[in-house]
Amino acid sequence: MGDLKVILKDTRKHLMTGVSYMIPFVVAGGILLALSVLLTGKAGVPEKGMLKDLFFIGVAGFTLMIPILAGFIGFSIADRPAIAPAAIAAYVGNEMGAGFFGALIAGLLAGIVVHYLKKIKVPNVMKSIMPIFVIPIIGTFIVAGAMKWGIGGPIAALTASLTAWLQGMQSSSIILLAIIIGLMEAFDMGGPVNKVAYAFVIMTISQGIYNIAGISAVGVCVPPIGMGLATLLAPKKYSGEEREAGKAALLMGCIGITEGAIPFAAADPLKVIPSIMVGAAAGCTSAALFGVTNMAAWGGLIVLPVITGKIGFVISIAIGATVTALMVNALKKVKVVGIEDTSKKSASEEIELSFEE
Amino acid sequence: MKIVAVTACPSGVAHTYMSAEALERAAKAKGITIKVETQGSIGIENRLTAEEIMEADMVILTKDIGIKEEERFNGKKIVRVGVSDAVKKADQIIEKIEAHLNSKK
Repeated sequence: MGDLKVILKDTRKHLMTGVSYMIPFVVAGGILLALSVLLTGKAGVPEKGMLKDLFFIGVAGFTLMIPILAGFIGFSIADRPAIAPAAIAAYVGNEMGAGFFGALIAGLLAGIVVHYLKKIKVPNVMKSIMPIFVIPIIGTFIVAGAMKWGIGGPIAALTASLTAWLQGMQSSSIILLAIIIGLMEAFDMGGPVNKVAYAFVIMTISQGIYNIAGISAVGVCVPPIGMGLATLLAPKKYSGEEREAGKAALLMGCIGITEGAIPFAAADPLKVIPSIMVGAAAGCTSAALFGVTNMAAWGGLIVLPVITGKIGFVISIAIGATVTALMVNALKKVKVVGIEDTSKKSASEEIELSFEE
Repeated sequence: MKIVAVTACPSGVAHTYMSAEALERAAKAKGITIKVETQGSIGIENRLTAEEIMEADMVILTKDIGIKEEERFNGKKIVRVGVSDAVKKADQIIEKIEAHLNSKK
């Protein structure tokens, strides 16, 4: 049981490892799929020729993201032998409608099952057939079987009701969700909280819901673009280093990298972090009102080609960035050379380190 | 004092490299030798050699996603940090490591 506790203590890390391997599938699949729809010129699935093929390439990327997510969650827990049982179980689950949650559970379950299977003592002559035969076969049978004949059904039901809830959300609830997404994505600029919001977005895309991704695409780029804009509007309030960082932040915002805002937040967290959070929430709300949709699990101006509601998208980013820039500059006093900004030390908590020897 | 580190974050494009840079800067400011391997979405870069790992007094590993080939560090002194913390509080981390290692002498 001690083993199980150790594995579950690191659940977040295992899930994030899976997400980390899955992201290129979602991005490649989503963008190619959306591009193929875009190039048909009308709002619909391409019917023939290369565009139809491109569409299927995109769909292939999307389809694979579920087994890959599960496979690498399993990998994180129990290394290579866990990949096959996890991936196969997740695929089976997806066919039943279990989707993203099915993948998470398949990954965790496969990791745990394989972890224990690896502990079975076998005579040396048998050792080589364990990872190639015994573990994949038994592991897959157990986990995929559990999915097919047990938990798959309930997970699918949960997913279906969540999807229905998201699809049927009234405009006021979407705005509330947009605000929450904006706040979370700006709060730690690519850190753990941001990643939870991001995982939620990927889940909605896997269920064929694309407005949340549209909202998120604005939320991730407002902090860096907003801070870059702030340095341009009021250069005297920023050091030379920060002004350089502002240019880099604008670029990073365009390609959807929220981390561009980190240097500013590190230097002056009490004024920067609330400003980027409010700005991101504002931009996200605007995107929700415009009904922006996005099939790629990424944000920033770089995904503009695959956005529907492009004008609304750009306006939303502009609104969010402007709110951030005006708010942070209003809060900041003019930078005077020689005076230390002591708010940094008092605002950040002491970091706890434990040493493993 | 020699430190080695491995940084890795979920999207593998930003925090991975920012935390590497922050740790390098913080260590250099104190005259501590450091080498940081990054495991971004492009793969392993600046890979740590077996010699460098052997000579290291402390290993810093980020804990947000699984570190590849973690077996290389079996038996070493390890400290795990969040990748976000490594970016924002690199100085504190290096300070605490220095204090811990000095107290053990």
